[in-house]
Amino acid sequence: MSAAVSRNRLPIAATAGLLLGAAIMVTPLVWTLLLSFKSNAELMRDSATAFSAPYTLENYRSILVGSSVSRWLLNSLIVSLGTTAGVLILCSLAGYAFARLDFPFRRTLFVFVLLGLAVPEQAVILPRHQFFALLGLHNSYPGLILPGLVAPFGVFFMTQYFRAIPRDLDEAAMLDGASRFTLFWKVLLPLTIPAQATLGVFTFLGSWNDYWWPLISATTSDRFTLTVGLASAQMNYAQTSGLGFLMAQAVFASIPILIVYIIFQKQIVRAMAGTAVR
Amino acid sequence: MLSLELDRIRKAYGDTLVLDDVSLGMDAREFIAFLGPSGSGKSTLLRIIAGLETADSGEVRLDGQRIDHLHPGDRNVAMVFQHYALYPHMTVRENMAFGLRNARVPKGEIDERIAQAAKVLEIEDQLDKKPGQMSGGQRQRVAIGRAIVKQPRLFLLDEPLSNLDAALRTRTRVELAQLRQRVDAGVIMVTHDQAEAMTLADRIVIMNDRRIQQIGAPMEIYTRPANAFVAGFVGSPAMTLVKAALEPGEGPFARVRLGDGAQVETRVSRAGLPVDGPLRLGLRPESVRPAAAGTGTTEAEVLLVERLGDRTLVYARLANGEEVTAQDEGNSRIRMGDRIGLAVDGKAAHLFDADGTGHHAEAAA
Repeated sequence: MSAAVSRNRLPIAATAGLLLGAAIMVTPLVWTLLLSFKSNAELMRDSATAFSAPYTLENYRSILVGSSVSRWLLNSLIVSLGTTAGVLILCSLAGYAFARLDFPFRRTLFVFVLLGLAVPEQAVILPRHQFFALLGLHNSYPGLILPGLVAPFGVFFMTQYFRAIPRDLDEAAMLDGASRFTLFWKVLLPLTIPAQATLGVFTFLGSWNDYWWPLISATTSDRFTLTVGLASAQMNYAQTSGLGFLMAQAVFASIPILIVYIIFQKQIVRAMAGTAVR
Repeated sequence: MLSLELDRIRKAYGDTLVLDDVSLGMDAREFIAFLGPSGSGKSTLLRIIAGLETADSGEVRLDGQRIDHLHPGDRNVAMVFQHYALYPHMTVRENMAFGLRNARVPKGEIDERIAQAAKVLEIEDQLDKKPGQMSGGQRQRVAIGRAIVKQPRLFLLDEPLSNLDAALRTRTRVELAQLRQRVDAGVIMVTHDQAEAMTLADRIVIMNDRRIQQIGAPMEIYTRPANAFVAGFVGSPAMTLVKAALEPGEGPFARVRLGDGAQVETRVSRAGLPVDGPLRLGLRPESVRPAAAGTGTTEAEVLLVERLGDRTLVYARLANGEEVTAQDEGNSRIRMGDRIGLAVDGKAAHLFDADGTGHHAEAAA
């Protein structure tokens, strides 16, 4: 064994610690998955039956035919995709403007954007609720999407990314006769795709997992997002429809997010490691 | 006929003046090099011509038409950037086509121009690669190709060779010289490398301290520097400048006394020189030859010996502490610390007066 390989090996204690940590994290997921395949009648008797056959797909069938989960899933997709698309468009435009254009009060405005990072959602939720009520936007898709478009971190992130692109490219494009829009659309924006992917994934996940604002804004079941819908199901139907059904709903709800993680895991790891802006 | 005319260009950043009434005329198909130290204003001047900077005052005309108010893309100029500035997400072909598409050149003609340029630059097999997959030299060719396909009236090259290694730089320099013969346009190159300027340019514009110091053919700049700055900047190693005083006399040429008392008979006309002001004697290394101690014009102690193969440079100190660079044969036996004589060729010497103005040897009759 080479010295480099042996140096990279973890001590046994550390390996054991990591395995234990992984087991603690995975156990609830496995438990949820197992319960979702069990009938309610069996689980009412003893939830330990989750470890033994028979297993059934009945809970999943109930989701697809009888429950509102499909509707909530669609709502969550519309809200999350709408928010993500809006954030990417607005933050790219704002990032380009802050990084490249010279306009009055640019620095002051950017400071205001940065200050937005320090304002917690709790501080603005009441006036936001009143404002949306005044506009009659509650219990609608715009009402669920619009607050998510206020993304100071996204503006800051995209501004920094645009700033890192050499200005030589702008100048080369200008000499190539590119208009301001062509320069943005065909030269600079394609170069920000890694940043767009990172920002997009985090915006999508944040919107998908958001609970508080949909809880306030969506007032009827047909406008619930998954998080709100599942919570309401837990409160209202857990005892009658059964634990297995509830767990199947949770598994079903996590499928889209799992897909996003699988597709964008590179961007997520990069963003976590703080190496996205390069 | 003049192709490019710069008329009293002035530019300041805040309180810092970077170009002060710079004027220049350039012939069609001429190759001009802007040469000067960092901060001399040469890149700013190039960017003003390109339209990437706006002059505070003055005019830029190309083929008689004023262009300083035009968008960079409408000036009929193409630029090769120091760091290439190729669009990293586009292939070589797309990089070269980008400007032409913006100018709404028909697709067939775009393809034809790209094929021609690729053939000339020998990058035909690279057209579908992206810049990140190419070496520095290949990227440089693509950057040149992107400029060529636009068929501009003027090429602007911003330190085009500075990112290449020594071997590639020499090769690319030769290619640039050949390329220049093929294009029907003027070329302006900014460089701080005098070898590039000397080998490529028809005329060199020496810039320093916000102004043009001298405009001339390479050998004119080398043999008849307008002032002490040009004398010290052009040539490697630089011209030695030592204090001198004009000796009284009747002859047509100046005889000067150096700081260590030695006298040098020059071929510089006595007329036009200040009678009693301080002078500096300018000596290129090739006009100072080492000699046996006790012989030659003066004596010196050797500080450093630089053996370059075909010649040896000897850095020596005169009795009054001033340093002089002399040139010896490649197989010179001189060593550090030796005391040697120095034979000064007065016919090749230059004199610079108190304000730095150069006075040169008169051509032999």
